[in-house]
Amino acid sequence: MTHFDVFGLPPRYTLDAADLEKRHRALALEWHPDRAAPSDARAHRVAVERTTALNDAYRVLKDPIRRAFYLLALAGVDLDHAGGGPRDLPIEMLEEVLELREALAEAKTAKDFPRARELAARVEAERTGALAAAVLCLELVETSPANPVAVKKASHQLSRVRYFTRFLEEADALEEEAL
Amino acid sequence: MAYSDKVIDHTENPRNVGTLDKEDPNVGTGLVGAPACGDVMRLQLKISDDGTIQDAKFKTFGCGSAIASSSLVTEWVKGKTVDQALTLSNKDVARELALPPVKIHCSVLAEDAIKAAIADFRKKRAARQAP
Repeated sequence: MTHFDVFGLPPRYTLDAADLEKRHRALALEWHPDRAAPSDARAHRVAVERTTALNDAYRVLKDPIRRAFYLLALAGVDLDHAGGGPRDLPIEMLEEVLELREALAEAKTAKDFPRARELAARVEAERTGALAAAVLCLELVETSPANPVAVKKASHQLSRVRYFTRFLEEADALEEEAL
Repeated sequence: MAYSDKVIDHTENPRNVGTLDKEDPNVGTGLVGAPACGDVMRLQLKISDDGTIQDAKFKTFGCGSAIASSSLVTEWVKGKTVDQALTLSNKDVARELALPPVKIHCSVLAEDAIKAAIADFRKKRAARQAP
């Protein structure tokens, strides 16, 4: 059962956030462990398991980035598994990431916080662009599932999203230092 | 998860961090990544014309295991021939650093980086020898 199945939704990137929240609330009430008879340990356990699965599914689907990674995993590329993901990233993408990380490391050494902020703003914009590019590919996969080129492109763009997220975590840590 | 003493040692005192001149015809550069973890690793080898690795440098942005794996392989390959370096396996790295199963891919990354650096060197040399 996929996270989409939990909510009775089709596996599509585009979804109505308000509708998802409504479905989550309704199911959370319906499956709440307190509704199981106190004497029925098995029913209680099932309710706890269903609620856990429901909350996991909600956490993933309501987040635009996690939802994209999840759809990519459904298409066969799991970037949420350590060591997973594409092994054929274009060298330019790795160079881009390495250069950014080096620039951030330099800013850190020099305690040049404005420079770090400037880099973070740039990376944030790049991440938004990479996610949008990945979503276009994922939507192609939705309409024509046997589309290895689109899956590959989505995996490359979401790899960039992951790299940029790591970058932004580092930049945030540096920001903490600045305070 | 606890890191082994050797991982901690290499993370706190990484060997051979740095850069070699990418344009040098005797330098091979390997750039590899583990996108799921957000790790990126650059490993460079300076190889003499007779095929001996004279110097090795790396730069890794990633977890402690990835840094330790790249640090260890730069130590290992220095003074070795290219052919010897190619026999280096990620299993040796994982064993030496006592990497847990979830971190085995970090040692794979280091092995890939060595192979990519040697491939880059060989490509450069072939281009140089081409008429």
